[in-house]
Amino acid sequence: MRQKGAKSPRVVRGTPYGYSYEHMFAFSSTRPTLPENLAASLRPLTLAKSRMLPLGEPWKALVPGGGLRRGSTVVVEAPPGLGGLSLALSLLTASSANGHWAGVVGVDDPGVVAMAELGMDLRRVLFVPRPRGAWAESVADLLDGVDLVVVRPPSRAAHGVARKLVDRVRERGTVLIVLSEPHAAWPLAPDVCFAITESRWATSSRLDARYLNVRVSGRGEAGRASEHVVVLPNRKGRAAAS
Amino acid sequence: MERLLAIWVEELSREKPDGSTLRDSLALLDALCVFCPFAEIVRLGLYVLPVRGPSRFFGGEEKVIAMATDTVRDVTGYDAHLGIADGLFCAELAAREQRVLAPGATTSFRRAQSLEVLGRKDLTTTCRRLGLYTLGSFADVPAARVGERFNQHALELHRVARGDVAELDGQRDLRLAQRLRDLRGEREPGSEQLGFFGQRGAGDDRALAAAHRVRRRLGADALLVASLHGGRVPEDRATLVPWGSPLVENRDRAPWPGQIRSPSPATTFLHPVAVQLRDANDAPVLFDARGVLSGEPATLLLTHYARRAIIWHAGPWPLVERWWSRGRRRAHLQVVLALGEAVLLVAESGRWWLVGLYD
Repeated sequence: MRQKGAKSPRVVRGTPYGYSYEHMFAFSSTRPTLPENLAASLRPLTLAKSRMLPLGEPWKALVPGGGLRRGSTVVVEAPPGLGGLSLALSLLTASSANGHWAGVVGVDDPGVVAMAELGMDLRRVLFVPRPRGAWAESVADLLDGVDLVVVRPPSRAAHGVARKLVDRVRERGTVLIVLSEPHAAWPLAPDVCFAITESRWATSSRLDARYLNVRVSGRGEAGRASEHVVVLPNRKGRAAAS
Repeated sequence: MERLLAIWVEELSREKPDGSTLRDSLALLDALCVFCPFAEIVRLGLYVLPVRGPSRFFGGEEKVIAMATDTVRDVTGYDAHLGIADGLFCAELAAREQRVLAPGATTSFRRAQSLEVLGRKDLTTTCRRLGLYTLGSFADVPAARVGERFNQHALELHRVARGDVAELDGQRDLRLAQRLRDLRGEREPGSEQLGFFGQRGAGDDRALAAAHRVRRRLGADALLVASLHGGRVPEDRATLVPWGSPLVENRDRAPWPGQIRSPSPATTFLHPVAVQLRDANDAPVLFDARGVLSGEPATLLLTHYARRAIIWHAGPWPLVERWWSRGRRRAHLQVVLALGEAVLLVAESGRWWLVGLYD
């Protein structure tokens, strides 16, 4: 116990020696304030942004958040031959160019040159063209290691298989892009859905560009459906806004 | 499957404590590479080389076999067992039996093998009790029945037995290439695949692990990576090679006059599909020697039942390549069909082929 007569130690302002402790404490008024922009950049990064994978030029403006949320499933619906594969691959381009890995499963004969023209970095794309009946297993394997997987199921996926894959996507924080054609429709509601409603070619002395009417819909923020016209591919083989 | 010459050297298959095995293996590999640059070592004691090229160059498979036998004897002093068959799995079996299989005889050879060659005891025992003694009888069992009774690994063996997969899992020693490189003193940072993957990060390691898993599940040739090189048409400009095969760094930036301009088809068929073009009177449209079409294309026949009307076409763009050696004459045609699909066709050797879909 402290003795009654003893005085508690106290910091005295303005000692004869000009000595103070105040600068040692964060609340000190003499501590210089941080520049405004530095303070903003030192705050912990928002998680939502780091959980987004980037999207390329025409898609950025069409999807809420401007990117693909990790853990989400994207479905591309198209009649066969009308640009569904190009659309699915064009969703990969920005991520692939930014150093993310991608897998392409069940696309029998991928047009590698077209993918390069879209702007993908082919060094980080793994292809499983003919998964021999084990397409779901190969997708599940790839989901562990790559950031985006494009899959074209050879037939309609069973409900349970699709559910397992979607759960795995959510758990791993990857993005699954399913190319859903009429004979192999995807049985679950996706987070974002791109549906091609119309496709027409602009021609000169050769095929010039294809104009796609794309309906973007989905869950949550993407809930309100909207329809846009997108050029895919254009004269340089890239995707562009019309 | 590729026709392979397998060389089995029993004495080199077990590593001696003094380290001479690895040195001899390397010396033998270098000696084999002198007459076939594609010779490779699969694991200790087992070498393979694609035999088609060398046999054409040296004048027959017997000559190549004689040269390989002499090389092994000169370099190591041991006697080698040689065999020729399609695919690595059968080539090794043929080498152990010292047999040269005629082209097309590989399937019957494989089907006649005993189940023990798959190297799995429980499978052999169970199948024997079921009355299955050969690979052929095992291959005839439906895959679903095999899957019910055994695990994933047995399904892979079943694919090998059916001939869908050319090599057995575990037949290849994946670390041997790196060990030989170390012995040579060529130290590469990273592992076997560095060239494809560029700089390495955590994501690259994860992708590598996933790639290994897919390859274990589906076989060595199911997982592919793409490489681009020079060429005039999309089907020549890119190849898909099995993941893990040696990298060919061939970034051709030459202009390639006559190249088909972008956009390129999103599906490029590895094996073009034969189709027919008809004009309005249902007469075949031909591409003649003067570089023009014999009529205006009006219908595309994918099969006899699937006919599609053509609403627009561009071309033909004739292409004559290598006129100095083995002239290859082709002409490409872009076609838009009635429902809005666009396809790329090529005329070669008097027929039309579907090579690309703009899908």
